[in-house]
Amino acid sequence: MKRIYFSYFSAIFFLSLFVSGCNQSTSSEKSGESGGKKLTVGVTMLSMQNEFIVNVSDEIEKKANELGVELITVDAERSALKQIEQVESFIAQKVDVIIMNPCEVEASSPAVTKALAAKIPIVNVNSETTAKPTAFIGSDDVESGRIAMKFIAEKLGGKGNVVMMHGYMGQAAQIKREQGAREVLKQYPNLKLLAHQTGEWDRAKGMALMENWIQSYGADINAVFAQNDEMGMGAVKALTDAGLKSKVIVVSIDAIPDALQAVQKGTLDATVFQNAEQQGAKSIETAVKIAKGEAFDKETLIPFQLVTKDNLAKFMK
Amino acid sequence: MENHLKTDRNPTEKPYKTRIKGMGRYGIFIAFILVCVVLSVVTPKFLTVSNLLIVVTQVSINALLAFGVTFVILTGGIDLSIGSTVAVTSVVAAMFAHPDSYPVIVPILTGLAAGLLLGAFNGLVITKSKVPPFIVTLGTMTIGRGLALILSKGRPISNLSDSFNFIGGGQLAGIPTPIIILIVFFIICSVVLKKTVLGRYMYAVGGNEPAAKASGIQLNKVKMVVYTLCGGLAALAGILLTSRITTGQPNAGVGFELDAIAAAIIGGTSTTGGTGTMTGTLIGALLIGVISNGLDLMNVTSYYQQVVMGIIIIGAVVLDSLNQNKS
Repeated sequence: MKRIYFSYFSAIFFLSLFVSGCNQSTSSEKSGESGGKKLTVGVTMLSMQNEFIVNVSDEIEKKANELGVELITVDAERSALKQIEQVESFIAQKVDVIIMNPCEVEASSPAVTKALAAKIPIVNVNSETTAKPTAFIGSDDVESGRIAMKFIAEKLGGKGNVVMMHGYMGQAAQIKREQGAREVLKQYPNLKLLAHQTGEWDRAKGMALMENWIQSYGADINAVFAQNDEMGMGAVKALTDAGLKSKVIVVSIDAIPDALQAVQKGTLDATVFQNAEQQGAKSIETAVKIAKGEAFDKETLIPFQLVTKDNLAKFMK
Repeated sequence: MENHLKTDRNPTEKPYKTRIKGMGRYGIFIAFILVCVVLSVVTPKFLTVSNLLIVVTQVSINALLAFGVTFVILTGGIDLSIGSTVAVTSVVAAMFAHPDSYPVIVPILTGLAAGLLLGAFNGLVITKSKVPPFIVTLGTMTIGRGLALILSKGRPISNLSDSFNFIGGGQLAGIPTPIIILIVFFIICSVVLKKTVLGRYMYAVGGNEPAAKASGIQLNKVKMVVYTLCGGLAALAGILLTSRITTGQPNAGVGFELDAIAAAIIGGTSTTGGTGTMTGTLIGALLIGVISNGLDLMNVTSYYQQVVMGIIIIGAVVLDSLNQNKS
């Protein structure tokens, strides 16, 4: 008997699920906010342990509230496999649009292909995948490397010794920031890359690396380019401890609050601002436009900006 | 100190390796000296006072973690949660370390309390549930990482007071504070292991658990203490790290447990328990640190660094086991 009851209830349960699922998809076709049923957007972020990504995600959430959109936000924890599974689950849940902050260029591509195959639009934010999504919102990381190294070249008058701290080797941001930096180095033959090594985006590792470089090159180092602020802050700490900070220029990328404070104090010479807020806001705005069938830009590139003491006020909150 | 349990031992058990432990440690020591000599020859920057001070400073965090994990491995256990404990401690201590908020002792004590609690939690679950420590501490590792992110809302906590930043970034009589802390806790841990009843119990539990039980040692109590100690030392490492980089980092310490376990194993701690010394572990940690520093000084590409590090770790342990078999 019990079994019969169970199957009876589960049948009703699944039926109701099915019905409500249908309701959702039909009403969302009509309109986003006014029809009572909200648009649902699935969001998968690269890593919620990364301050910049958290900022992007926060902005998506803020904007989604303004637009009256229902969000399902998940953390891929840097795993492309996990990210694909999350997108598959979004497809199963029949969300209206997916926003993905890809973990990897190649490995996250299947997620895009799968979403498009299921006829669900997908918007990539911050980094790219090989498979073309419905829309892309982000910044060109090559440009950030270019801006940072250009600043160093100008400060040193095109002549001197530079060391470079990489992020995790092989990640899109690492490859592109290095590429941008090397483009500038080529233009200045008297600017020498003394050493380069990974600090794995990490402050403690960046600090240890800088300490070791100070041991081996000492006063020969004229400038440090760290591919993110965390490592840049580590370099600043090591240089300050060694009493060398006043002689060495340090530039990094991301403009996290810590780095902005350091620029204000004069310990960090410059950082490059990547606009988390605009990336977040634009991605959800575009997602909603797509869902409503309105016109949208297939690619939105948000420019990087160099932050020095002179224009700092604009970026401090 | 070597073999307190000889009389308790079940005669059918395999003979202890503790007797030849001296030889084994010797092997690691030789490997360490060898690496140092090679590095001094290859790069003149290696063997300078300032560089050596930096190496030991960089090693201090891993060494403290490795001391804790040595206690645990000695009793036949393992602790994978220490990296996450570093993160929780880092966040908790930083929350109380802003300038003009609390005296510097408050972040230290709250940080330590967080680590001790996580350690005690490990010990409690392991002794009460009989679930293998590998699984329990794997769970705590994830819980800890989550807690650190929750407490910090996923963001680093900066703006810490100068007195707090002195703990890991200051100097006393020209010696960086992390080195002083390292030496103090090396002595404390060695004494606990060699000179106290508790230390003897640790060897006993790891060497032969049934025999230890038969001889009236309260296994659960020993394990409880061991995991709590390990959590406490991880907390200390976390405070040191936070102070050194002057920020509380929820993503600090990822993978630290592996370096710490590597240091203990390289230093001659047997993975099955019962054998090991703090001196061995210290040398293990120094070996890892010296290699990493040396390769940086020589500007070896990071790709090769990882390969070289792996080869040296395996080589050191093989050397150690050859030495043991010979005797």
